[in-house]
Amino acid sequence: MIQLKNIDKYYDAKFQRTFVLKGVNLDIEQGEFVSIMGPSGAGKSTLLNIIGFLDEPSQGEYLFLGDPANQLKEKQKVQYHRSHIGFIFQAFHLIDEMNVYENIETPLVYRGVKSKERKAMVADMLDRFNMVAKKDLFPSQLSGGQQQLVAIARAIVGSPKLLLADEPTGNLHSEQGEMIMKLLKKLNDEGMTIIQVTHSKENAQYGNRIITLKDGYVKEEN
Amino acid sequence: MIVKVVVRNLIKRPFLHLVKVIGLSLALVGILFITLFLKNELSYDSYHTNAENIYRYTITDPDFLGGKHFARMINPGYVPELKEQIPEITNFVRLRPVSGGVMKFNNRFYTINQAFECDSTFFQFFEAELRVGNKETILENPASMVVAESFAGKVFGNENPIGKILTIPTGQFYGEEQSFTINGVMKDFPSNSHFHPDFIATPVQDRFTYGWAWTYLALAENANPDNVRAGIHNFLVERTDTETQEMDSRVYLQKLTDIHLHSNKLREIEANGNIRNIYVLAIAALILLLISISNYANLNIGMAGFSAKYLFVNKLLGSSKRQIIRYFFTEGLFIAMATLMLALLVVPPVNAIIQRGYQLNLLAGNLSLAFIVFLVFILLSVSFGMLPVLKPVFSAIKGVRNNSKTNQKQGGINRGILVFQYAFSIALIISVIVISRQTNFAFKSGMGVEEDNVIVFESVHASIQQKFETLKEELLKYNSIQSVSAMMEPPGGEANDMFEFELEGYTPDEQNEQYERIGVFPCDYSFASLFNLSFLSGTNFTKNNLDNEGSGEYIINEAAMKRLNYSNAEEIVGKEFKLNFEQLETTGIKLSRGKIIGVVKDFHLSSLKKEVEPLVLFKRDKLWLINFIVAFQPGKKMEALADMKTVWTLLFPEYPFQYESVGSMYQKVYKAELLQAKLLSVFTFIALFICSMGLFGLALIVTQQRTKEIGVRKVNGARVTEIIQLLNRDFIRWVVLAFVFACPVAWFAMDKWLENFAYKISLSWWIFVLAGILAVGIALLTVSFQSWKAATQNPVEALRYE
Repeated sequence: MIQLKNIDKYYDAKFQRTFVLKGVNLDIEQGEFVSIMGPSGAGKSTLLNIIGFLDEPSQGEYLFLGDPANQLKEKQKVQYHRSHIGFIFQAFHLIDEMNVYENIETPLVYRGVKSKERKAMVADMLDRFNMVAKKDLFPSQLSGGQQQLVAIARAIVGSPKLLLADEPTGNLHSEQGEMIMKLLKKLNDEGMTIIQVTHSKENAQYGNRIITLKDGYVKEEN
Repeated sequence: MIVKVVVRNLIKRPFLHLVKVIGLSLALVGILFITLFLKNELSYDSYHTNAENIYRYTITDPDFLGGKHFARMINPGYVPELKEQIPEITNFVRLRPVSGGVMKFNNRFYTINQAFECDSTFFQFFEAELRVGNKETILENPASMVVAESFAGKVFGNENPIGKILTIPTGQFYGEEQSFTINGVMKDFPSNSHFHPDFIATPVQDRFTYGWAWTYLALAENANPDNVRAGIHNFLVERTDTETQEMDSRVYLQKLTDIHLHSNKLREIEANGNIRNIYVLAIAALILLLISISNYANLNIGMAGFSAKYLFVNKLLGSSKRQIIRYFFTEGLFIAMATLMLALLVVPPVNAIIQRGYQLNLLAGNLSLAFIVFLVFILLSVSFGMLPVLKPVFSAIKGVRNNSKTNQKQGGINRGILVFQYAFSIALIISVIVISRQTNFAFKSGMGVEEDNVIVFESVHASIQQKFETLKEELLKYNSIQSVSAMMEPPGGEANDMFEFELEGYTPDEQNEQYERIGVFPCDYSFASLFNLSFLSGTNFTKNNLDNEGSGEYIINEAAMKRLNYSNAEEIVGKEFKLNFEQLETTGIKLSRGKIIGVVKDFHLSSLKKEVEPLVLFKRDKLWLINFIVAFQPGKKMEALADMKTVWTLLFPEYPFQYESVGSMYQKVYKAELLQAKLLSVFTFIALFICSMGLFGLALIVTQQRTKEIGVRKVNGARVTEIIQLLNRDFIRWVVLAFVFACPVAWFAMDKWLENFAYKISLSWWIFVLAGILAVGIALLTVSFQSWKAATQNPVEALRYE
């Protein structure tokens, strides 16, 4: 599903080139649950952003579902965001101006799903995450764990093939964290490919493969 | 969905959005009224069907009144002949001012502001809607009159005026009584006409052979005015039997539509506008547009950060560029609608105020133009308000990491706009100070304005003139009255008459012998004392208005002293002097030989735009003393007016008691400048208000963005004053930079503007400093509130945001 070949990412300062990623090679098959680990500044989030088309590699080749990503036009990337990729973040990134229902509904609107269908799909999600009663609340009225649940609901409501999670439990206490991880595991079991960035060894274990980055290199894979 | 988010966002930050709306609506209302006013000014006289082919004919002649350029012609009796001789002239009309100032009906007198005796071709030149009567035939006969609707109402009330007889009583300059039959009623001339007569009438008998008349010629389509001018010149050469090279009269043809803005001749029918004012206003409107839109854009740029997260997340969820544009566009539309609504609320009362103050209903008949102005303004502000936001937004959501760079760039644009806005505002403040000071200086230099205790009975009727001495005597019996005098020209008027003269020991310039004339000013003996003229040498007139041959008394002004080649006032006093009045034989008027008895400092009878002309004051009894002046004891205005009314009604029961303060007379002289000063003050206020609101908004945004920094600094021991200083310093620096840009521009513009005046204030350095201090002060006040709020926040609160 994802093939990274010799990916570099660097920033040029006046007399110096700073590498964030260097020579990263990676193959991820459909249905995998991959955890990316590593110390701060190792390039974990950058790697995730490149995979999610939020950033571009400085050099190297990236194939997504067999298509070379560097040749993708803006429009195609938008299409991938609409139908193939879901995101969750440490800071949840819910839209403050929208309530729970509307937050979950937004990606469906962009995909052009009809209103009736949308209603059914959002209702399904609310049901699944036990949030029916909270559908009219705004993010600021929810706890961190609840916000992350909404974020996950929003990420998966369109049944993406790939879910990218950037430290999804970083802002949560352990109990909530565990609940989220279990949920991700369940989604993976249902067939969704998941790539998560995490600091926690424990959480990394939920995945079936761990990739450790250090200073931009892939240090080990197991 | 976008709409919902936009609305919630607007509600979330009501103040900042209100700032946008208020700024835009104020500017919109300002621009709307400037546009309407400019349209009114630029459309003067263009509504006449044949306006393009109508020209006003004037002449200058160095032999006649010093070659001054008058808007009207002397003795235009030959004009019909001109039409016969020059085929390109298809028609003519002459307008002779009706002298006397009053009309009689049923033994009552009614004041007229303006009226003409004219040729029967009047309606072939000037469009006027007739309420009653037929344009083709209405002026066919002599002594036919058409009255304006408002004047008819004043004289006849609800009665039908047709067939009634109105009489010009025996007038000034020995005019005889003349009666006219009212044949029609016309609608009042619109505000954009260069004249507004109470009535027009064909004369009882020929009135154009001698005397003054404004003269208009209609030229054939495609006729070349230059050829016509040459034709008229040749005609005059033949008529006066002079050689072409000796003919020094110059012929002018001025387009009817140019009169209002491009004519500044003597004796215009009404005070005209000025094309410079049009430029000033147009520039003011443009500045207002730029300031308001840039302010809007600036706030948008500053606030774009607030939407950044929304846009970023949307991007993740698959929104396209178009949807982002739609988001900002929807937000812009909401602001635009609110702006429109607020503007619509403000427009009617502003229009009413203008109508009350200037008798101008700018909105009437201009609704479509107003609609266009609204539409263009909204389109401009929405698009230009949105554009600068989109680029940084796109780049911000494209790369997650590059935020700091785009932030820096945004800050640069923000500050650039801020400097630009403040530079304009400071330049405006300087202009307002200079224009107000100069206008004030000019106004206060008017005779008797400063004391504010002088009133004028302007252009009183001949029979009242005859009783001046009695009036003076009666008035002076009252304690409330200080002094009474009379003069030929009212304060603010033009003293244009020039006589030949003889002065002991003065040899006329041989080459220009025939031009040796000097300005004259007949007045009552207490003229100099009433107006506190200061004597450089010599004495005031003795107390009577009659001079015997040999004992004539003449007072000259400083300019006349220099004109007569003296530099020391002492030396010219006592010299023998005589004025020669050419029409001695026809009128029997004689001016006695006498002496120069005093030299007074130059005084400003007319506008400060003109140099003070050499003037000889002489006293006359019962002749040419057309304007009466009364000075009352300061602080006793009401009492004095009551006393004056008593005397007036006793002496002249049939004439209306009508007076004006010198202040209001000079206000007419400086009408354009006063209006300009007022308008500019309003614009400056609006511009400053918009800038301050913008600055306030920016300060709010910046302090919000720096909340964490402020918290950290406080935790590390910074005092509140230090934080305020830190936040303020940045803004003040930019205002100071704006000041540096504004000063030379303002100096240049104001130097040019002051060139309009012969007597002017100096562009002192303190005006600039004051404007700078004002701008910095306002900026400080605006920003400090935000800074103080941010600085006094509990640092724990501040840090929690992160």
